[in-house]
This record gives sequence, structure tokens and C-alpha cells, in this order.
Amino acid sequence: MAEHHLTLPVTDADIEKLALGDSVYLDGIVYTARDMAHMEIRALAEKGQPLPEPLAGSAVFHAGPVALKDGDGWRLNVIGPTTSMRMEPYADLIGRLGVKLIIGKGGMFDDSKAAFQRYTQAYLQAAPGCAVQIGAGVRAIKGVHWLENGMPEGMWVLEVKDFGPFIVTMDCRGHSVYDDVRAAGRQAIAAMGY
Amino acid sequence: MSGVKVSYEDIVELIHKGCTGISADVQVLMRRALERETVPSARVMLQTMLDNVAMAGRLDKPVCQSPGFPTVWVRYDDGMPVAGLREHIQKALAECTAKGYIRPSIVHSLTRNNPGDSSGEGVPNMEYRLVPGLPYLEIIASFKGCGAELGNASVIMTTATLGKDLSGLKKLVLETVVKAGGIPCPPSALGIGIGGQMDVASKLSREAVSTRDWRDTNPDPLLAALETELLDSVNKLGVGPAGIGGDTTTLAVKIAHAATHTAICPVTVNFHCWVARRFGVRIYPDGTVQHLFQEGDY
Repeated sequence: MAEHHLTLPVTDADIEKLALGDSVYLDGIVYTARDMAHMEIRALAEKGQPLPEPLAGSAVFHAGPVALKDGDGWRLNVIGPTTSMRMEPYADLIGRLGVKLIIGKGGMFDDSKAAFQRYTQAYLQAAPGCAVQIGAGVRAIKGVHWLENGMPEGMWVLEVKDFGPFIVTMDCRGHSVYDDVRAAGRQAIAAMGY
Repeated sequence: MSGVKVSYEDIVELIHKGCTGISADVQVLMRRALERETVPSARVMLQTMLDNVAMAGRLDKPVCQSPGFPTVWVRYDDGMPVAGLREHIQKALAECTAKGYIRPSIVHSLTRNNPGDSSGEGVPNMEYRLVPGLPYLEIIASFKGCGAELGNASVIMTTATLGKDLSGLKKLVLETVVKAGGIPCPPSALGIGIGGQMDVASKLSREAVSTRDWRDTNPDPLLAALETELLDSVNKLGVGPAGIGGDTTTLAVKIAHAATHTAICPVTVNFHCWVARRFGVRIYPDGTVQHLFQEGDY
């Protein structure tokens, strides 16, 4: 189980080094995006219009912060992962846009596994419900887009340092910890005689 | 009963404390789970969760960024002052949102418009229970995370699908837990509502997991045995903390039952994440306040 310290934006070579169970810390800029930000991204992409931030080589964090207004800007109170399965319908689009790392909780499914192999991406599991610990890695809020969709649903631009640890649970070779855990669970149910 | 009083300031402080910690009963179960957990990555996850709770308390911050959805159960006797309670709680939710203890996460279900102050039609969900002769006013508020909701299942079972020795019901619960995997933020607790029609089973499932101490024993021996068996079986599935494998999948199984029609058996399996943000108080006429879900209660 290796430990990786990556600086964003990352390259395909960075992603290819990640194996299931490895831990990852990130430096640089991370973008949050939940359901509504993904809808906005799709709408712009379909119209061929530029996105508000460069997503090539980026990390997208499935999360919405608790942020407090601080003068003209924002101060982070806490932030942690939301359930990634809701963003599964955008798997191929997000890969095509060059996003390399997805941080969230609960994992993703077959469309994401296919995209991760096609576009060389990986999925990082954050500790669920651990918003104070995770938020400690955020140095500053650099901006926010689509705040009209509500605080959780905006795309927040976070400057991070030693952000993590996150655990690699889906790699770019089609492996998924969640698949393995579910398969073992189904076997356990069968072994109980059901 | 005129001695029973609940001030606005009391409500604000209870919500503030409720969102910047987890209830003591669940902390006890999390610590016990860490003592027993054998998978190294699961041990790290559990330790991180406990550390995060400690940090939240120390820094006066919300344990989790998502405040979930608030439901409040009020058990009361005639003449107790419950009339203004909903308004107090609504105002307190807005105040705690402005202060950053609660993220504004309540939206119109269809337009998805977020008013920004945790307000909306039916928020909080208030469940009033008139209990004649109850010597106290009981208020239990639960802020249950909604990732957990994404793993829930409601099924109208039948005599046939319940199966011999309830094997069909048990299989439904186990399969629901495996399918949900890490989505409900395990270690979870399961509220299982059984009976009535679909609406009754669903309400019972939430009430069971949100208003009972997670260490208690069901007074109904049939349900107590079922809770014990299911807890044991679920923790053999290997889902583990965060759903990435481990011995600790579920901290508690709480079942509530109502009778039903001979044609059906409605069942709802309702997940609670490990972040049990809730408070419970019993307020007596002499002004005494008893807090529920405390460390030494069991």
C-alpha cells in the first residue's frame, strides 16, 4: 500500500501508478461538483461553450462545503464527501473533459469503470462524515461558480495542501474495491443458506 | 403541567450541540467497534471517524458537512406547551444555518430551489404523539444524512415471500445492505419498519432508528431476537466502514412493528449513517431536564 503525494493538475502517468488500497494526498486546486454542477457542465459542453474552470488533469470532489461569507470572499467551515453514485450518469463526459481524479464516497459503477479505463482516471474514497478532518486540508476558497443553485450545489474552487488521506478504491484498470466487497457480501449471504 | 417550559434559546443550544457531535450512545458503539475490528484499513477509517468527532467538538464545527433532513418527535400529554415548538425549531434551524452549524441543504423537491436558510414546506417534519398520562414532555430531534436514504428499500412482502422462519425478510435485509455497500456511510444502523401499509412501515423505520438508544433491547421478545440475529448476520457481510471492507458494517438494528392486513406485510429498511446527530430531552413539570442517549444509560 503505497502513499502518493500528487500536485494538481496530474498526468496519466500519475494515475497509472495508483493501485487499490494506496493512500493519496493532494496539493493544488480541487473543484467541487455535485448534481447541479454536473448538469451545468453538461449544458455548457453540449453547447460547445467554455467551462468556468480548466478540468484537464483536475480533481473533482463530490462535495458541497459549509462556507461562511468573509468580506468579499468565503471562508471554509467544513467539507466532506457526498454520495458519488448520483454522478454516475456523467461518467463518460467527465472523463472526456480530462478530469483525472474523482474524490467521493460509496464508489461508482460500471459506466465509471469503463470511463476510468478509457480516459485513465481513478476514484478516491474520502472518510465519510469526517468533514472537519478533511476540511483541515483546504487552505483557501479561491472562488465559486453557480452559487445561485445553492451552497451545496455550487462549483467551489479550493486551494488544498496535504489534502487527504484518500484511499484509491477504483483504478484505471477496471478494478473496484466496491465490486470486490459486494461479491464477497453476496457469497456470505449464500453461505448463510439464503 | 404548566411547569414544563422550552425556551427558544434551549432549542438553539440543543440543535447546535446536536450538529457538532454525535450522540453518546453511538460514540460508545463506535469505540467498541474499533476495539473489535481486525481489518487494518477499517481500523484506520473508524479511528479517523472518532478523531473527527473529537475535532468537531473541540473546534465547535459540524461533524459532517451535510446536516441531512430534520425530523422531530414530540411525545406529550394534554395541556403541555407544544403549540409554539415548530416555530421555535424553524427559527433555530435558520439561526444555526447562518452561524455555519448547518449547511443550507433544504430545497424545493421539484424546482430544486434552495432558500438558503434550511426552511421549506414540511421542514422540519414534526411527528406529534399524544400520550395520555405521560409525566414529561419528550422532544427528540434527528438530523439524518441523506446519502443513507439512497440505500433504503421499501417492499410489500406477503405470507409467501416472508418465508419459513422469516427467511425471506432476513434475506431482503442482507441483500439491501450488500447492495447499498458504502453508500449509507457505514458503519450504519438499520431501522426496519414492519406492518400497516407502506406509509406506516416507512414512518416506523425512521422512528425506530432515530428515537431509540442504539444500545437498547426491544421490549418485544420476537423483535429483540430478530434484531440480534440480523445485527450478527449483517456484520458477517464484510462491507465494513465506508464500504471498503471490514468487520464493522452495522452498529445497531432497530425494528418497529404494527399489525397489518392478512394479504400483505409492508417492510421498509432504513439506513442511518454513523454520524448520529440527534438530541433527546424529557422535560418534567418541576423543571428537571433529562437528556437521552447518554453514555452511562446502558
